[in-house]
Amino acid sequence: MNTRSIYFRLILWYSGLIVVMSLAFGGYIYQGVQKRLYHEMKQTLTHRAENIAKSILPRLHDETPAVLAAQIKEVYSPEANGRLIRILDQGHSIVYVSGEPVDGHFDPAKIPVTTRNIQTKRIEQISPDFAMFIVTFPTEVQGQSYFIEMGMPTDDIEAALKGLIVTLFFGLPVMVLIVSGGGYLLVRQSLQPVEDIRATAEKITFGNLSNRLPVPKTGDALEHLSMTLNQMLNRLEAAYEQASRFSADASHELRTPLTIIRGELESIASEQNLSEVLHDRIGSVLEETERLSQIVESLFAISRLDAGEAKIQHVQFDLAALVRSTADQMSLLAEEKNISVQIVADTHVLVEGDPSRIKQVVVNLLDNAIKYTPKDGSIIIKISAAQRKAILEVCDNGIGIPASSLPHVFERFYRADKTRSRETMGAGLGLAIVKSICLAHGGNVDIQSIEGKGTSCRVELPQDKSIETNG
Amino acid sequence: MRVLIVEDEEKLSGIVARGLKGEGFAVDIAADGEKGLELATSYAYDAIILDIMLPKISGTAVLEGIRQKNHHVPIIMLTAKDAVGDKVKHIDAGADDYLTKPFSCSELLVRIRALLRRSPVQRSDTIKIADLEIDRLSRQVKRGGKRIELSAKEYALLEYLALNSDRVLSRAMIIEHVWDESFEALTNIVDVYIRQLRSKIDDGHDKKLIKTVRGIGYAINHEAGA
Repeated sequence: MNTRSIYFRLILWYSGLIVVMSLAFGGYIYQGVQKRLYHEMKQTLTHRAENIAKSILPRLHDETPAVLAAQIKEVYSPEANGRLIRILDQGHSIVYVSGEPVDGHFDPAKIPVTTRNIQTKRIEQISPDFAMFIVTFPTEVQGQSYFIEMGMPTDDIEAALKGLIVTLFFGLPVMVLIVSGGGYLLVRQSLQPVEDIRATAEKITFGNLSNRLPVPKTGDALEHLSMTLNQMLNRLEAAYEQASRFSADASHELRTPLTIIRGELESIASEQNLSEVLHDRIGSVLEETERLSQIVESLFAISRLDAGEAKIQHVQFDLAALVRSTADQMSLLAEEKNISVQIVADTHVLVEGDPSRIKQVVVNLLDNAIKYTPKDGSIIIKISAAQRKAILEVCDNGIGIPASSLPHVFERFYRADKTRSRETMGAGLGLAIVKSICLAHGGNVDIQSIEGKGTSCRVELPQDKSIETNG
Repeated sequence: MRVLIVEDEEKLSGIVARGLKGEGFAVDIAADGEKGLELATSYAYDAIILDIMLPKISGTAVLEGIRQKNHHVPIIMLTAKDAVGDKVKHIDAGADDYLTKPFSCSELLVRIRALLRRSPVQRSDTIKIADLEIDRLSRQVKRGGKRIELSAKEYALLEYLALNSDRVLSRAMIIEHVWDESFEALTNIVDVYIRQLRSKIDDGHDKKLIKTVRGIGYAINHEAGA
């Protein structure tokens, strides 16, 4: 998982916040419940102490302590309920104390008496896992001060609190999980427009620069962002159009002067009384004029193809047959260097497109392969079909292309080796044309090469949809 | 023989006119479409060279105007290379041939000659150049009475040179005729095939028939060349 993604960070923050808040809230609940429970216990005990003060203490002087004890036992039965009732006089001496409870959790005699003269509540820890909540209730009967101490084990409250903790403890992760999941969905949903924009933007190339990004009507930064990006695309499209229009216009305008230059030079070259040296020089200029013409033509063809202005025929034809006839027409080029050209083809690999342009692709690729393969080398041309695509591969065992040059070979005017390609009269436009033709057909071209081992070019072209190959 | 050039680039029409005059043609020049249409419909020309991009009236309109009155005069259009659709359109509209800028004047002359002799002159089935004999029916080639075996491409190349003997053919023209436009970036293919053809035709003979004209192209000559 990408820990730097906006998803991850949002959800992390979200979950972290939820955990902190849940802990705080859990603590608050725990405290509240604890306070409430002890408060209620104090109320109950105080209430009972009041009752004792009202109904039993006034008879203290009339009855014997035994009768009193029997009365308290009858009304409150502290021993059976595991409670403590204790009556102290002014000097904190015990007047009455309840007996040992039946469950034997504490010994009333061992619980220290209060030393203060006001109403208090306290917790006495009897043993590590047993504590008593004791309320001291001061009262006055016939001018005499008394203190009634009422005690109750805290284990019920503690058990309830423990249960609360357990509930909170198990509830928290579930809650965090639910909230994080919800958060994820929420984040995803709110980031969906961004994802849409991304997906659309990814598909925009120079071939479909007129496409625009979807604008989510959110009225916020997202809408503004997509609108801004679209405006940027407008400018990009305009600039690109201008650039390709420029090369188309420029090459168009260059044609007439080139024709004139050539015509003049040819007429000079045909003069009878021209010296040998001058004749040779004119020839040299003519050669360069020819090269210039070719560059102009190639540039024009590329800019038209890239701008989608070139008229491309859509006929169905057999790629294998086209490759065979083309290779046949170029056979002497390979024979001269004793290079073997082998064609491995499925039968009837149909392609829909412009045969003359696809032929140009084959010519350029095969020509390159022959050029950059030394004597006695071999070239294999493979034609196959897979997943409604016709695949043409031209592989040679020639000099190859340095890895540093490989990403640039489809760029206009790029030459992998400046000194070498000079002799071939090319202008570094052959592969650029191949790429433009492939893209204009909705196909693609890819090149792989190992320096010194060879190069292989792979062209993918869309096949006709209705007819499957039988190869 | 009288030829009309309708072209607004004065220098270009001048060069073409010079080339045509050198071949013995009488030449008229119109610098815009209006003038061109007027001249073309007023005089009986043997051929018309018509640019497409013209001031006043476009070449296409001129072509249609001429064809309304005169159905037979051969017309060569000067077009932009990429416009495949244009070519088809103009051929449909009555153009006999098209030539793309930048072109070579010798190419234009070859095409005009081809158009002019297309119907009346029946070309013979055998071509003789010095002691080279080409039988166009059986596609057999002999030099000094000895048969020479040629591949289909070599034969096509030799025949094209021989049909235009004494005329320098550019690599572009050769590629277009012997191969096709898809090979146009591959000028070295012509050199390779010429080399091969030379070794079969000229090796062992004192008279070298195939001549190289640097910067322009190749020719086959009746007289011995270098």
